[in-house]
Amino acid sequence: MTTPTAARPIPAHVPPEMVGEFSLFTAPGMAPTPNGDPQAAAACVHAGPRIFYSPLNTRDGHGTWVITRAKDQRRVLQDGETFSSHRSIFASALGEDWPMIPLELDPPEHGAFRSLLNPLLSPKRVMVLEPAVRERAAFLIDRIARAGTSCDVMNDFAFPFAVNIFLRFLGLPDDQLEEFVGWATDLLHGEPAKRGAAARTIVAFIDDLAAERRREPVDDFMSFIIQAKVKDRPLTDVEVRGIGVLLFIAGLDTVAAAIGFDLAYLARNIADQRLLRNEPSRIVLAAEELLRAYPTVQMIRVATRDIDFEGAPIRKGDYVSCATMIANRDPEEFECPEKIDLSREDNRHQAFAYGPHRCLGSHLARREIVIGLEEWLKRIPDFRIKEGTAPIAYGGHVFGIEDLILDWS
Amino acid sequence: MRILVHKEKCQGHARCWSMAPDIFDLDDEGYIVAGDIDVTPDDEKKAWRGAKSCPERALEIEK
Ligand code: HEM
Ligand code: SF4
Repeated sequence: MTTPTAARPIPAHVPPEMVGEFSLFTAPGMAPTPNGDPQAAAACVHAGPRIFYSPLNTRDGHGTWVITRAKDQRRVLQDGETFSSHRSIFASALGEDWPMIPLELDPPEHGAFRSLLNPLLSPKRVMVLEPAVRERAAFLIDRIARAGTSCDVMNDFAFPFAVNIFLRFLGLPDDQLEEFVGWATDLLHGEPAKRGAAARTIVAFIDDLAAERRREPVDDFMSFIIQAKVKDRPLTDVEVRGIGVLLFIAGLDTVAAAIGFDLAYLARNIADQRLLRNEPSRIVLAAEELLRAYPTVQMIRVATRDIDFEGAPIRKGDYVSCATMIANRDPEEFECPEKIDLSREDNRHQAFAYGPHRCLGSHLARREIVIGLEEWLKRIPDFRIKEGTAPIAYGGHVFGIEDLILDWS
Repeated sequence: MRILVHKEKCQGHARCWSMAPDIFDLDDEGYIVAGDIDVTPDDEKKAWRGAKSCPERALEIEK
């Protein structure tokens, strides 16, 4: 996470009494913190109003309205006409303007692309990918187990695992793993200069891959995309790029962070760890509770018209934040939201969003998390946070863990 | 028991299907197949859990 740049002035239409202190970047517990628990720290907003204005709530210093109740977030996320996703975040960082697809398109245009991509990551399709996911998890964890009785979960397992599954999904060979991990690390965690360079490398890679598959299609994801049609016409180069870049970044940090938060929780809660190891059939349900308790994504929408929302005068162009970590700890939605109960059944959490932009990769992500935990618990005996270390967790646009040194000596 | 399927609300979370794949049928894109579902008494518990797990509130239980 980088610290945001200076805040912009608070717009005149925001009533001063609706301005709140809290922000996912600057509130207590959001900066990188040893043994931090940023999701729990964000839950403090439930003591406050349904909606407030946070003056500094994006990486580039924008203010946003913050919706604190899950029910109200659903209303925003299900209404793409009033609350638009069109922002070109990735491209604008490069000084360009093209949308990531389908993330930054609104209905009805969104639907055409979504229909094209849905079958590629449908629950049934993910079942076909599953053996590869398990094989990769086993490969990486076996390597860790052979090497000793301690490791950094993020560098040695969670991150390469997520990147590796993406390579398999694209149909690219594993020998590009190191290179891809390097780009992804620079893009998601590097200094601004490195981020820009990595972003350009990734765009060039996607463009080159598309060009190669246009010359000589094979049976893989990119060949499918360049041969596909939306609205009876082939995709443009910029659309192909928008899809490829999004798939690259959407499933790396998010999956790695989920595995990191989950293993950190299990390392600190040995009874739960043993329960899942002895009764692995509980992992599927437990993974849902961990997704509820440790979600990672803040969604931002842009108002397309003036609207009064639960007493707040939202004006056209205002940013509206729907943070999954806030919705998932809403006491109106979950009984004892602060309690992590691995057998919680009534659990309609929103780690993967609601509405038309519901995470396209959610079925794959769920299997990566469950299989990752299954294979880990099978191979690694009772593990703890290594003595003398303290994993650094952080808030921001996508929550995460920098390092997680586990020990099972 | 019957489950009323509000297909227009479904966003393809597949939570219903993961609870009870033989009761809730998904199309190739992963969205629920249109049409209300009659549930046999034996299946009621599973169907109930599946319907209750839908984040979009697309599945309504009619007793
Ligand atoms: C635990 C891991 C993951 C989490 C928590 C997560 C979360 C999310 C969330 C909250 C959104 C909605 C964003 C918005 O509406 O602004 C989203 C969208 C998306 N995710 Fe994920 N995601 C995860 C893994 C993945 C994976 C593995 C993939 C790819 C294989 C993926 C691909 C996508 C795509 C393509 C979208 C855009 C969908 C659309 O706009 O219609 N995600 N994700
Ligand atoms: S759980 Fe709800 S949204 Fe998901 S597939 Fe079933 S009906 Fe659709």
